[in-house]
Amino acid sequence: MEKEKFSQLLGLALVSFYGGFIVWLYLANPSNLEELTRKARLTVEQASTGAKILTNTYEADEENFQKGLQAFRNENFVLAREFFDRADPAKRSAKVQFYIAYSFYRQGWGKISNDDRLFKKGLETAELVIKLDSSFHTDDPDLKLKTPFELKQELEDGLKITASDFNPLKFFRERK
Amino acid sequence: MKQEIEKANLSQTSEINKVAPQKVYVLIPFLFLTVTLLGGMRISDKGFLFLKPDLVFFVLAAFLIALFFKTNLISLEDWLFGHSSLLKTVSNLAILATLFSASIQIFNSLTPENGLAFWIISFCFFWVLWNNLFLELSPKKMIRSLVALFSFAFVTKYIFLANLTAPTTETWWQALLENPAKQTLTWLLDLPRFSPATGYLQFFNLAIYLIALYLFPTSTRETLTANS
Repeated sequence: MEKEKFSQLLGLALVSFYGGFIVWLYLANPSNLEELTRKARLTVEQASTGAKILTNTYEADEENFQKGLQAFRNENFVLAREFFDRADPAKRSAKVQFYIAYSFYRQGWGKISNDDRLFKKGLETAELVIKLDSSFHTDDPDLKLKTPFELKQELEDGLKITASDFNPLKFFRERK
Repeated sequence: MKQEIEKANLSQTSEINKVAPQKVYVLIPFLFLTVTLLGGMRISDKGFLFLKPDLVFFVLAAFLIALFFKTNLISLEDWLFGHSSLLKTVSNLAILATLFSASIQIFNSLTPENGLAFWIISFCFFWVLWNNLFLELSPKKMIRSLVALFSFAFVTKYIFLANLTAPTTETWWQALLENPAKQTLTWLLDLPRFSPATGYLQFFNLAIYLIALYLFPTSTRETLTANS
């Protein structure tokens, strides 16, 4: 009787894990073993983040955030965003998302014209920061725009075409 | 006649039910899950490909399971009802679920992936299973019929149609000049270009499915009494 119960429990565990693996495999559809490992790692990371959110223990990864900050200060905004994304994969930290929005602003800013594509992305991220924490205020002295509302305003102004855009003195304005 | 069939079923039931519980609850689901895993797997020049099953395979698998119940190859009453233990009922349900998923994937494995051939083979499967639903078949005859059906489908797809498929070439013109007939048939029948390894893989997959079916007991009622 005990042997039968043990076999039944073992069978149920087998069906759950092996079955789960098969479902995952068909959803992930890896084309080789290298891709399989990469997708498995990504899935584990996503599951771990999801579990942290559910248990209210989610926090942005400080190590990746500091690396991102370093790249941000060295004006390497693409690399900075890469680290910021790794630091906050669930996009739930207002601080990290603020820096991402700011990186879009600084990368897209130009003396003659701005990069609308980057500004639009920055605007979306700034709106996300407002949703996450509307009272967010940065204490970073390097950033002249201290709140997501100021950043949003700056990005919206940058996207508009007004008469002031044709003012030659605009060339002497400075990035914030 | 009916009495003879019932007698044959009963003798088979008692014979099969002498199996060890680890065979019923561990080995059989493992084999069916392996079939589920390999059934949609194809190997091409670019690597592996996992093809999700089409809706029609769910319908065909449902027909097949209904046939298993009708021919008493699986006794629905013994597998699902009348057990005092919840664990046993849940385990039995899990095994039946693996049988269903393996059946879906075996159709996925044996049916051409797209085009006219997909519809013709699917229709043939549907026709045979539909006909069998109205016949008085013994479990042994049912298994024989399935082996014949699946073997024929395997030969059609992995030997006949695979030999009509043109090999992959760099340009369309080169392909048309080197293999005009094969290229035309590939285009007309919309045949996919997979590596020959796919055929070998699916041959073993079909063998695993049939072995698991052969090991599948009609009932799990006597396994419990034999071990208690």
